[in-house]
Amino acid sequence: MFLRMIRGTLLRQWKKMLMIAFTIALGASLASAMLSVMLDVEDKVNQELKTYGANITVVPKAASVLNELYEVEGGEASGAYLAEGELGKIKTIFWAFNIVDYAPFVNVNAALDDGSTVKTVGSWFNHHMELPTGEQLDAGITSLRSWWEIVQGAWLDEQKEGDDADVCMIGTALAKKLGKSAGDTLHLTGSESDRSLRIVGIYDAGGDEDDQIYAPLNTVQALDGLDGKIDSIEVSALTTPDNELAEKAAKDPGSLTVSQYETWYCTAYASAICWQIQEVITDSVASPVRQVADSEGAILEKTKLLMILITILSLIGAALGICNLVTASVMERSSEIGLMKAIGAQNGAVSGLVLTEICMTAVIGGVVGFFAGFGFAQIIGHTVFGSSITMRPVVIPIVAILVILVTLAGSIPAIRMLLRLRPAEVLHGGR
Amino acid sequence: MKKRQMFLRMITASLMRRRSRMLVALLSIAIGATILSGLVTIYYDVPRQMGAQFRSYGANMIFVPADTAFTEQDVRQGAAVIQAADLVGIAPYRYENVRINGIPVVAAGTDMQGAQAASPYWHVDGAWPAKDGELMVGAKVAESFRLKVGGEIELSYTPETRTQEELKTVQDQTCTYQITGILDTGGSEEEYVYMSLPDLAKLTVDDGKVDVAELSVSGGAEQLEKYIEQINAAVPAVTARTVKRVTASETTVLTKLQALVLLVTIVVLALTMICVATTMTAVVAERRREIGLRKAIGASDKSIVGEFLGENLLLGLLGGIIGSLLGFIFAQQVSIHVFSSSISFRLWIVPVTILVSIAVTGLASLLPIRSATEVDPALVLKGE
Repeated sequence: MFLRMIRGTLLRQWKKMLMIAFTIALGASLASAMLSVMLDVEDKVNQELKTYGANITVVPKAASVLNELYEVEGGEASGAYLAEGELGKIKTIFWAFNIVDYAPFVNVNAALDDGSTVKTVGSWFNHHMELPTGEQLDAGITSLRSWWEIVQGAWLDEQKEGDDADVCMIGTALAKKLGKSAGDTLHLTGSESDRSLRIVGIYDAGGDEDDQIYAPLNTVQALDGLDGKIDSIEVSALTTPDNELAEKAAKDPGSLTVSQYETWYCTAYASAICWQIQEVITDSVASPVRQVADSEGAILEKTKLLMILITILSLIGAALGICNLVTASVMERSSEIGLMKAIGAQNGAVSGLVLTEICMTAVIGGVVGFFAGFGFAQIIGHTVFGSSITMRPVVIPIVAILVILVTLAGSIPAIRMLLRLRPAEVLHGGR
Repeated sequence: MKKRQMFLRMITASLMRRRSRMLVALLSIAIGATILSGLVTIYYDVPRQMGAQFRSYGANMIFVPADTAFTEQDVRQGAAVIQAADLVGIAPYRYENVRINGIPVVAAGTDMQGAQAASPYWHVDGAWPAKDGELMVGAKVAESFRLKVGGEIELSYTPETRTQEELKTVQDQTCTYQITGILDTGGSEEEYVYMSLPDLAKLTVDDGKVDVAELSVSGGAEQLEKYIEQINAAVPAVTARTVKRVTASETTVLTKLQALVLLVTIVVLALTMICVATTMTAVVAERRREIGLRKAIGASDKSIVGEFLGENLLLGLLGGIIGSLLGFIFAQQVSIHVFSSSISFRLWIVPVTILVSIAVTGLASLLPIRSATEVDPALVLKGE
């Protein structure tokens, strides 16, 4: 009998029930869309912030103390270098997955034909790597210097040109001084050899780099006979904003207790990633670039908090919206409830019937809404970040609990109010 | 006159008598309006507030001498072009080669407060120099000379104009300073020694010249370009430039963030408004009986529609007013918690919120009223 009555209501009043289901679906989709976006926003914004370039630099241990101080005097760089052969190891550290991009640098002062010397930098532009793990990675300054504006020509691509091809890119200021444009050749003399490089592109970096020459790593190494040696590595990594533990660890990892050390080592703090890079690159010092690392942390935190608050607002909105409609639709059934009571139904039976009906509708609406909401999240992800939003299982129970709680909260007070009424009054139409 | 009085009385009476139901409807409109005004306020304030956060990346504009050198006076003059509210920090820098124990080091003279504001990411172990005779050293300098906070160092300076002869006979100028802090930035700043401009002038030559000035200016890339044009025109000694790395990246990230908030706002608003509409439809649909009764005693369709609409528009108005107030409070709370600054109040959001609430309630109630008036009153009253 109970089932028959419910089926009857659903079939005969399908229009009203559809509307309730529709509203619940809207509320549920709002909740699931916002929760999905909120949980993913940190990763997405972190990716975007990579446009600021590297947040970790790696230099040789000896150089980090003395080399750059002596360079002030114009003296020759001291002899400490990092080994090019170890570069692949960066992708084998504990947080290898968080290393987005990196590039080695070697600096050489090369002489031009007119006798002036120019700082020539060797690096990766779009270097292809086969990692020991079987992964493949394209890394280099094409993405690490995303703010460079290519004024003429195009980005150098060693995958097309070859690893020690005679090509280079030069800065706008230098190009203007030399009167060169893309396609011309530039003759450079180093301490060991000389080469004629074809200018592939001219960039505007808005800084010191505008007076420099950038060429493939091996090409520049050959100029000064620095085969297999590099001066520094810039690493762009996804990191977690620093907290007290990370600051303490950055000063001296030895001061941590074993469990603190484990927590620190297994969290993607900039200092932990630096530590791990030092472990794999012989005689190196890795340090976070504060300008990038600290600012990233601040902006990530703010964005996340903003999204959390907007999500809370929309959750409250969705909850009150559903609650309201359920209350309205239960109140509407006053005469039906009055009639049921008049012919002898118990309060419990009446509430059970109404609640079951509403909950069934809520479940249907909730399921539809959840998937619709996930769709909305994908639209947001693709329009804003150009990548999809990860589906997080934790959203399902949150939305389910929200829908059920809100539906019950909306219907129970209304039902209780109606049950308190006297059937005769209700049927008479006094209310 | 009489007719209007009757109209008003019917509306208010209906609102008063059906209090609980009307409260439900009003609540739903108010929620919609709160979300509307709250999110729109946040959307318009996000670029400003977020832009301020991006200033933690440090200077986005630099002044370099148009000729060979310029003075602090020129820098201040150039900075005066920028509106005071937009100027987050300005730090003039003067670099000189000095010696510690005979080893050359670059000493930078600057305005410490300005540097702190323009480069908030500088991490100082100890304190920033505050008095004359105090300085801070870069982490790498500290490491190579084994310097500690609280220690003293002697800097010596050899003027570049001295001849070989003088170099042998005349003593270097020396001063002793107290180290108040060690600077850690992860960049080339760690190789310098920082002191105030007057201190550096005392040690070297007092000619008031500076080499470069770093400015942190809030505003988008377009605003910066405008300032640069004005500065270059107004102060001939100064060439202003943007720091491309900071401005270009800021534009990219900020555009994405704003697009994110915009899309979220649109999705939330659309869904909320539909929610409000369905609730209003449910509230009005419930009154089919009443409509039937009125028709049966001779009310015209037009008067019924007018009266119901009037009632709902009144609700829309009330809900809109409550909502725009609550929305502003919400946006204010968000701003204080997230950005720790208060939000700028935009007056136009209030009428827009009220109009949208009225429009949504009006449209949402019009449909069920229409369908109710079209039905034969006898059928409605019978309950079919």
